[in-house]
Amino acid sequence: MLAIAGVLIANRSGADGLAPWIIPSIVFALGLALVWSPLDRVTLEDARRPKLSGLFERDAWARLALGLAMGIGALWWFATWEFTQDPVLRAIVVPLVVLAALTLVLAPWWLRLIRQVGVERQERVREFERAEIAAHLHDSVLQTLTLIRAKADDPDAVTRLARAQERDLRAYLYQDRRTEEESVATALALAVNAVEDAQGIIVDVVSVGDAPTDERLWAAVKAAGEATSNAARHGIGPVSVYAELTAHTYEIFVRDSGPGFDPNTVPSDRLGIKQSIIGRVARQGGAAFVQSAPGERTEVSISVPREVRS
Amino acid sequence: MSDKTADDAAVGTPPGVTVVIVDDHDVIRVGVRESLAEDLEVVGEARDVESAIEVILEAKPQVVILDVHLPGGTGGGALDVLAEILGAADAPRVLALSVSDAAEDVVATVRAGARGYVTKSISGPDLSDAVRRVAGGDAVFSPRLAGFVLDAFGAAGGEVAAIDDDLDKLTAREQEVMRLIARGYTYREVAAKLFISIKTVETHVGKVLRKLQLSNRHELAHWAAQRRIV
Repeated sequence: MLAIAGVLIANRSGADGLAPWIIPSIVFALGLALVWSPLDRVTLEDARRPKLSGLFERDAWARLALGLAMGIGALWWFATWEFTQDPVLRAIVVPLVVLAALTLVLAPWWLRLIRQVGVERQERVREFERAEIAAHLHDSVLQTLTLIRAKADDPDAVTRLARAQERDLRAYLYQDRRTEEESVATALALAVNAVEDAQGIIVDVVSVGDAPTDERLWAAVKAAGEATSNAARHGIGPVSVYAELTAHTYEIFVRDSGPGFDPNTVPSDRLGIKQSIIGRVARQGGAAFVQSAPGERTEVSISVPREVRS
Repeated sequence: MSDKTADDAAVGTPPGVTVVIVDDHDVIRVGVRESLAEDLEVVGEARDVESAIEVILEAKPQVVILDVHLPGGTGGGALDVLAEILGAADAPRVLALSVSDAAEDVVATVRAGARGYVTKSISGPDLSDAVRRVAGGDAVFSPRLAGFVLDAFGAAGGEVAAIDDDLDKLTAREQEVMRLIARGYTYREVAAKLFISIKTVETHVGKVLRKLQLSNRHELAHWAAQRRIV
């Protein structure tokens, strides 16, 4: 308003040198500000979630109408303004300027629309994730709980179910899910878990380092599975499995809690240790040792060299 | 097993350790209380951050068995409790207890001042042992925590500290000790295997705990940052 007053005074006081487009431009700018102003207030509170109810209050409608009227008035004046004698030039310039001005007026409304679409899409994604999690919990945890209730009088079955479910849920919650081929740590965990399920004992697995599972690492993992299975059959739990992957070797240690045995007294026709553990890693250039004595813990150490990359 | 319990317990153990149990699950609290040995006296229990701080400051136990995930406070669970109770001169020693195997939980809790970390699958005698050990000022490393330490300190890559004071690396001896603990050896078995005394094993583990708490290794900093502690 002050600006208009200033310009009017300047005009009145005889400054005819002032360009005739000054007043319409100011009117247009004011109209623009009026059209934009309700949007400002809406997005101030939370840029991501415009408050729509506040947008079309009467006050906002009035501003919008007044702003549009001012803007269109200014444009009307521009359309009729003979700033040049060339009608062709006017026919080109006027529509372009009007179009640009209208875009400017409507830009925030258009931006708001885009933003709202984004918010809605985000909500859909979140909803989808929630449904996914619910489906997983239903298929796993709820089913297991039902099974446990049905088998309440069989403690072994309940323990096994609970343990398997715990592992599954833990993997779902904490680990980035990788396949056996991508991660030797996962491969080892799965091999050990299979033994855990089959034999109903508790095995703690700790892995340090990780890499894609190549042929040699597979051999070590399978040997470790066999060693764990032996420990579960002949030893007492808990069994601990520790695997360490360095640049040069992959070592796995499988250790039970007793009662131990004398490795020399194992009959030669028993192939478990010889074939499945020692033979398997020896073929890959590795080695395996069984350390035990009656009354002590048994520990199987398995190591394979890693393939040297040329 | 039993001779090991007696043997390990004999090292630096004050008689009649007082304990406060903090866990939001009633079942777990009852289970922990019943699995603790006779000489451990439970003087209080709490189920969330606020009640934990109150009970601990009032009962002044020697050891707090603290669940990592707790409701209340600012949402940091055990970290909130640790921040509140560890300032005092006669602060209790804290043994963290959790079902979580996630690295950031383990590392964040230990870096916030816990002297040990055990999972809820631990057996009664082992838990009692761990409590006595923590009460005696020693650190308790489960195989899993030892594995994390080896992983985080790049032990598998062959990084070894040249001097004892290097906080960002383990010495060769510390690595050996951690490796044996990760393999499931008790402190006594580690000592026998390395031909050193149990006291020396405890010293090594204590030094590793200090490094774990003070080191700025980026793996540790990264895990800690995920739980917004430094």
